[in-house]
Amino acid sequence: MTIRTVIADVLLGLAVLVVLGSSAGILLMRDVYQKLHYVTPAAVVAPPIAGLAIGVQSGWSVNSLQTWLTIALMLIAAPFLSHATIRAARIRQAGDWKSPADHDDAEGRR
Amino acid sequence: MSGFVVAAIAMLLALIPCGIVLVRGSAMAAVVAFEAISAVVVIVLMLLSEGFGRPGEFELPVHLAVLVFGSGLVFARFLGRGQ
Repeated sequence: MTIRTVIADVLLGLAVLVVLGSSAGILLMRDVYQKLHYVTPAAVVAPPIAGLAIGVQSGWSVNSLQTWLTIALMLIAAPFLSHATIRAARIRQAGDWKSPADHDDAEGRR
Repeated sequence: MSGFVVAAIAMLLALIPCGIVLVRGSAMAAVVAFEAISAVVVIVLMLLSEGFGRPGEFELPVHLAVLVFGSGLVFARFLGRGQ
């Protein structure tokens, strides 16, 4: 067992812990807004850790390049998805995603 | 069995709680669970490609990451239209 394997295994263990904790949070939290907070570790924190493990194991190669491309796509997509989801949840709950105070301000400006 | 395959199998366990939310939760909670499951599956595909030493399969998580973005936006868009 080389030092590379040990480092990769530690990183993989960390990524697994993040993902398992994230899924437990999604199950245990009460409403959508709280659940959505626990998607972020699985979508933003765990992929770079797994990518580091792959990079440590196989070095710079086409494989690690495609891995980091995947991770970049996930890092870009995650905030947009979170925003779109929370916006949809807000619209379903309140009919509009702006708060009543925002509406009052808009009315006042007219 | 390499550490990558073991980690991928361990990560698949995370799909069980998300699956429970997907089946039993509200529509919006199901979308949240879907997004988490998608992220986990992308990571699992990366790990399995490395674990089994198949470079050609590294394209699968790239494609899935793009599709997840589109599908998540579609679900959010249609569920945000109303009850």
